[in-house]
Amino acid sequence: MTMTTMGPDAARDPNAATRRLQRQDRVFFWLAWGSATLVVVVLLGILFSLVWESIPAVRTFGLSFLWTERWSPAKEIFGALAPIYGTIVTSVIAMVIAIPLSFGIAIFLTEICPKPLRRPIGTAIELLAGIPSIIYGLWGFFVLAPLMQQFVQPFLIDVLGPLPIVGALFSGAPYGIGMLTAGLVLAIMILPFITSVTRDVFQTVPVMLRESAYGMGMTTWEVMRHIVIPYTRLGLVGGVMLGLGRALGETMAVTFVIGNAHRVKASLMAPGTTISASIANEFAEASGKLYSASLVELGLILFVISFTVLALAKWLIGRTESY
Amino acid sequence: MDTTHMNDLADRPVTDTLSSLKPRRMVEDRPVKLEVKSLNFHYANGHHALKDINLKLHDKTVTAFIGPSGCGKSTLLRTLNRICDLYPGQKTEGEVLLDGRNILSPKEDLNLLRAKVGMVFQKPTPFPMSIYENIAFGIRLYEKLSKSEMNDRVEAALREAALWDEVKDKIHQSGLGLSGGQQQRLCIARAVAVKPEVLLMDEPASALDPISTAKIEDLITRLADDYCIAIVTHNMQQAARTSDYTAFMYLGEIVEFDRTEQIFTAPSNQKTNDYVTGRFG
Repeated sequence: MTMTTMGPDAARDPNAATRRLQRQDRVFFWLAWGSATLVVVVLLGILFSLVWESIPAVRTFGLSFLWTERWSPAKEIFGALAPIYGTIVTSVIAMVIAIPLSFGIAIFLTEICPKPLRRPIGTAIELLAGIPSIIYGLWGFFVLAPLMQQFVQPFLIDVLGPLPIVGALFSGAPYGIGMLTAGLVLAIMILPFITSVTRDVFQTVPVMLRESAYGMGMTTWEVMRHIVIPYTRLGLVGGVMLGLGRALGETMAVTFVIGNAHRVKASLMAPGTTISASIANEFAEASGKLYSASLVELGLILFVISFTVLALAKWLIGRTESY
Repeated sequence: MDTTHMNDLADRPVTDTLSSLKPRRMVEDRPVKLEVKSLNFHYANGHHALKDINLKLHDKTVTAFIGPSGCGKSTLLRTLNRICDLYPGQKTEGEVLLDGRNILSPKEDLNLLRAKVGMVFQKPTPFPMSIYENIAFGIRLYEKLSKSEMNDRVEAALREAALWDEVKDKIHQSGLGLSGGQQQRLCIARAVAVKPEVLLMDEPASALDPISTAKIEDLITRLADDYCIAIVTHNMQQAARTSDYTAFMYLGEIVEFDRTEQIFTAPSNQKTNDYVTGRFG
């Protein structure tokens, strides 16, 4: 350690100054450690309280909680199948719509967009992520749902409904609200996340690799399809997982437009529910230990699903960077 | 292998350069393949990178471009297949005639042009696919071949690039698993597989070890029997060893353009003389 910056004290007693610095350093060391540990403690604390609070439900229903459709607060019978099903279906719809759109936007922004337009368009898409989810909910309920009911759903029911197998997904009455509408709102909400990760990983492609692909006489489409996307595929999967993680956990917007029915229906038009929507809707009225414990257990299931998806996403994105 | 090929140092005394001169070939009567006429190039930031370039590249000859960093030699190469068009804002004026047809014309089909004018870059850039696909992919862009025809073409291209014997047992493995020198020869194989007419090489050996460099130089010398080759290099021995003609560039202009042995033995310009004898650069 150098002695040059220790002031007049140091000149008289260098050992005291050194000890003071060591003390400072030790305090700093433990502060940094403490901050980092706090995060882990909070995470474990949340996990622990979810497990602890859900014990009554786990004791009563066991694993059958996962595949029981019935949800009857009056008879105190609770099953998580409908919320789990709704969560997965709405997320899948959101991914099916958002992935191609996001990839298209990212390709446009990195390869085709004129330079002066790049920033405004990129910013506009990132601003989508800044809109509070309650506003998406309001918009979904008052604007999108009526449009879906009047135009989109009748069209889908007429055209796709009569088909075998696929038809089951598009049968029934057009309610406006339901899983399809919820999936659509989710798609718009996760679009900015997938787009920005996709754009960032596209930019990791070495300039010379892109140039040599163009130098072979490839078109922009061929360069994207055969060079850029294969080169960045792990990062792309990571970005998609990040979007999926958000879609799985989104609460407010979905609660508005999904219809909140504890039912498992093949039709995408049918009202359903998701894990987070069920919790948000019913927590205030959850009387009785078993009811609230069941809701907490739903939360635990969501925690495990989201945690797995996000961990996988982080891992995949990390692997692309060290390519 | 000739041991002088092993030395990759750029600025050695001129006598060493002379000893590595390529044997003189009769190339004067070969037809002009590519003609550059009063070419000017401005980057988007306004930098005037090429100033009134006039130049003729003959078929089946190697032309080397030498000069200090930033003299415009890479830029010149990049206008010849219009890869510089990828970056908006730059401005190219003048003419580049490929067999008499101006390829700078806005009507030029860039994808077809780049099939005719192939390019090899400073660093090896294998595509993220197998060795076989790296070559087959480019061919498929322009031709529809049966499986056996394609196999033949891939093998021929790899043989042409002196890579076949080293990769024939792992042809379906990723091209990223090869060594740097092998990857660069794969890129050359990929470029020749589509049967180009002109081959542009932008410091093709600058990222390679001396042995790989020697192999690439051998390859360039052999490819000169079939293609019109333009090579940019920082290494004067490399220019002397591989090329028939040499252009010395400085500050965006061609200072001197002549037979390679002329440039290295009796340059007419003092600047050229200073550069090839290592007094500046």
